[in-house]
Amino acid sequence: MVNVGDMLVGYATDEDVRKRGASGGLVTAVLAAALEKGLVENVVVMKHINEFEAVPIITDDVDEVLASTGSLHSVPVNLAKYAMGRKVAMPAKPCDAQAVIEQAKRDMIDLDNTYIVGLNCGGSMHPVTTKKMLVAMYDIDPEDVVGEDIEKGKLIFKTKNGEEKAIAIDELEEAGYGRRESCRFCTLKIPVNADLACGNWGVIGDLAGSATFCQVMNDKGVKLLENAIDAGRIKVEPASDKAIAIRAKVNDVMVNLGSTLEEKIFPEIPDEGRIQFYMEQMADCIDCGACKEVCPVCACGEDSKCTMFHSLVDNYKMSMYHMIRLLHLTDSCIACGQCSDVCPSDIPITLLQSRFAIPAQRRREYTPGMNVDDVPPFFEVILK
Amino acid sequence: MIGNVYQTVCPGCNMGCGLYIREDEEGALAVDFMKSSPANLGKLCRFGMKLAHHYSKATSMVDGKESSVEDAVKAASDKLKGADVTMLGVGNTTNEESLAFSKVADALGTVVNTGMGVYSELPTECHPTVGVGITLDDIESAKRIALFVDPYVQYPLLVRRILAAKKNGASVVSVGWRDLHLADENKYIDPDMYESELGLDSESVIIADVHPNTDPGWVKRMLNLALKTQAKILFMKPFVNATGVDLLCKGTGQKGIPEIMEGINEGSIKTLVTLDSDPIELMPDSDAAAATLTKLDNLIVISSRYGPVNKMADIVIATEPLYAKAGSFMNVEGQLLNNSGESTTGIDAMSTLAQNLGGEALDYQGLHNNVLESIVQKFTKPNYKELACEVLDIGPMEEKKGNLIYLYNPFMWFDEPDDNDFVMVNMNTVNKLGLGKGAMIALTSDTGTVNMRYRVEDMPDGLILTAKKLPVATGWTTIVSTEAV
Repeated sequence: MVNVGDMLVGYATDEDVRKRGASGGLVTAVLAAALEKGLVENVVVMKHINEFEAVPIITDDVDEVLASTGSLHSVPVNLAKYAMGRKVAMPAKPCDAQAVIEQAKRDMIDLDNTYIVGLNCGGSMHPVTTKKMLVAMYDIDPEDVVGEDIEKGKLIFKTKNGEEKAIAIDELEEAGYGRRESCRFCTLKIPVNADLACGNWGVIGDLAGSATFCQVMNDKGVKLLENAIDAGRIKVEPASDKAIAIRAKVNDVMVNLGSTLEEKIFPEIPDEGRIQFYMEQMADCIDCGACKEVCPVCACGEDSKCTMFHSLVDNYKMSMYHMIRLLHLTDSCIACGQCSDVCPSDIPITLLQSRFAIPAQRRREYTPGMNVDDVPPFFEVILK
Repeated sequence: MIGNVYQTVCPGCNMGCGLYIREDEEGALAVDFMKSSPANLGKLCRFGMKLAHHYSKATSMVDGKESSVEDAVKAASDKLKGADVTMLGVGNTTNEESLAFSKVADALGTVVNTGMGVYSELPTECHPTVGVGITLDDIESAKRIALFVDPYVQYPLLVRRILAAKKNGASVVSVGWRDLHLADENKYIDPDMYESELGLDSESVIIADVHPNTDPGWVKRMLNLALKTQAKILFMKPFVNATGVDLLCKGTGQKGIPEIMEGINEGSIKTLVTLDSDPIELMPDSDAAAATLTKLDNLIVISSRYGPVNKMADIVIATEPLYAKAGSFMNVEGQLLNNSGESTTGIDAMSTLAQNLGGEALDYQGLHNNVLESIVQKFTKPNYKELACEVLDIGPMEEKKGNLIYLYNPFMWFDEPDDNDFVMVNMNTVNKLGLGKGAMIALTSDTGTVNMRYRVEDMPDGLILTAKKLPVATGWTTIVSTEAV
C-alpha cells in the first residue's frame, strides 16, 4: 500500500536492470511497468547517443524502456512535445517537469494522461564542455568515463578502470567548466512538482549506489508505484529517518549554493546603462528563432506576438522579437537554459530573461511549473 | 521506437553543424539539437532551423514521366553510352556517393567537376590549406582576425567563434560590404592596402571563402596576404562536403560552373550529369542558367532533393534524403562526420549505372573504406596545414562589375525562401533617393526591374546588398539603376 507523501527506498527486481540503471534501476522499472500494465500507451525514454548525450524518443516497447539508461549529462529537453495527444510516462528533471506543467496550463497536454517520474538534479552539463573539462581538469580521456555523481559540493567521475576523481564544483566553474550557467542559480533540485521525486540522495548503508530514494507526490505517483509493485518490477521499503534527514541536508546544501551563486551571476546593472546593456547583449542575434523553438514553456506556435511584430527588414536598435519575449515570458520562464544552449551567437538569453522573470515571479510569490492549478500572475482573461 | 531519429550534418555550408532529424509516424520532419557536436554544440543558424523544409523529396523521372529508380538508371545508361559527358558534383552529398559518382566518371572516361574553377588555377601545394584551413577551435585563440566574409549572413556559426576570440583578447577587422557589429574596425580599402593596413601577423587569422563564382585572382590575393603576413587562413565553403569532394577529385582538372555553362552555350558540352548540384540554383542568374540548360542534348540529374533542375532534366535518378544516407562528410576543418542513416539507394543506383557503362559494381562498405584510406588518414584530426606555396602571380583581377552585390548565404545557394526580400543600403542612398517610410527601391538592370523593400546599414555609398537572389541580377555583382517607388 503506497500513500501520497510516502518516502521510500526501492530498486528494480530484475538484477540486470538494477545493475545497469542509475541507482538501482527503480525509475526504469517503474516506466517499464507503466507501459507493460497499460497505465500508459507510450513512454519517453532517453536514447543513448554517447556517454555525454541522450535524446528523447517515444516508445511502446517495454524492452526498449528496459534497455534505456540515458546519459550522464542529459541537458533539459522539451519533453511536453512528446506528450501531446498521448497517454505517456516520462522521466524528468525538475525543470523538465516545470515545463510540462506549464504546457498543461496552456492546454497543450493533458496532465491526467501524463505521468512524470521526477529525477533529482544537482545540475546538468553541456556535452562538449564536459569532454573538454575531463581533459583539462581531470586528466581523464572522455572515452573512459562510465559514471558521474555530485557529492558534498564535488563533481565525481568514475572511469572504466574503477577509479574515481573528484573536483570541487566551485573550482570547475571558476575555470569556466562544470554545470550550465542556468543550473548554477537553480534552487529546485528535488522534483517535488513531479508525480514521483526520485534520486540517490538519502540512499545509505548497504543500499548506497544500488537503490533510489522515492517520494510520492500525488495520486498519480501512487498509481505509478503500486503498478510497478503489482507487476513485480520493483521492491520498496520505507526510508529511515536518517535517510530522510540526509536527503534534506543534501538538498539544502544544493539550494543554498544556487542562492549564493545567483548574486554572483546577476551583478547589478547601473540604471543609466540598462538599455545599452540589453541592446549590446542582443546585437549579435542572427534571427535564427532557435530560442523560441526550443523554449519548453512557449505554446504560441508560429503565429505569435514575438514574430508578428518582427521582420529582418526592421531597423530597430533592438529587435521587437526579443523585447516581446522578454516581457511575454516574465511569468512563465523557468530558467531551464535551453535558449542559451541553442543560441548560435552565444547570447546568454536565459540570464537576460531571468533578470525580468526572477524579480517579477518573486514579487508575486509565484514559481512557474510547480502546480497546474497555479494561475500565472500575468495570465490574460479567458473568454468563454 | 515510434518514428526515427537521424544523426546528420546541416547541408547549409561546410561548417559541419551536427543535428538530429526526427521523422514521426506520418513522415513529418523536425530538427533537433545535437549538443554533442563539436563544430556547433547543437546550435544552428536560421537555415538549419528551417531544414525540415529543405528536404523536398525528389522523384525519379524519364522524359517527364515518373519512373522507378531502376528504369531511370537504365534510361541514363542508354543515353550515356559513348557520349561525351560532363559531370558536376559540388559536394552536396556524402563522400561515399561522391566517390561512386567518380567511379561512374571513370567508366565514362571523364572526371567529376566540383564546380570550383579556382582550384585548377592554384598550385597543387596550395590545395591542402585552401581545402582544410585553421580549425574552428583555433579561431578562438587568434590574436587578430581579418574577416572577408559577413559571418552574420553568410556563415552564422562563425559568429560565436569570433566573439569567443574577442573575449580572449582578439581584435577583429572586417573588410567587407557593410559594418559588422562584432568588428572592432570596419574597413573599405583598396586590396593593395591589405598588407599594410590590416595589422596581421603570425598570430592572426584570415577568414575568407571560396565558392563557384569566386574570382580566382581574389583567392590568390588572400593566399598572398597569408603568405606575406604569416597569418593563418580559413576558406569557408558553401557546400556541406565541399572539402571531401575536393580531396577526392583533386588533380583531375576542375571546371567551374560558369565554365560549364559557357561550354553548354558554345555547344561544346552536350551531355551534363549532375549529382545533387543544381546549376539553376548555383548560378547567380537563375533564368539565364535555365535557358542555357535547354541547349543540352541530355541532362541527367541524380538528386536527393527536388530542385528546379529536376523539372528540366531528361532523366532524374532520385536518391534518399541526405539525412537518411549511409555515409560521411568532411567539414571545413577536416573533421570526418558520419551520418547515422543506413540507406544506400543512391550508391546502389550509381553502382548499376557504373556497371551498365562497363565499370565495376560498387558497395557502400567498399566506398567507405576507400574514403577512409584516401582522405581521412591525412585529416582525421584537425591540424592546420601551413601554406607551402610561393607568393602567387595574381594576374588581372576581375573588375567589380556592379553596385548590386550578392551576399551569398545558404538560402541563396539553394534558392530557398526566407524573410529576406529586401536590400541593404546606407542612409545617404536613402536620402539621395528620397525614400520615405514604407517606400521601396526600384532596381533596374538590362534584364528588367524589381521593387524591393530596404534596410538601412552602415556601408559604403552607392552599394546595394542582397541576401536573396534577384531576377535583375546577372552575376554576383550587377550594374543597376535605382529610384524610389
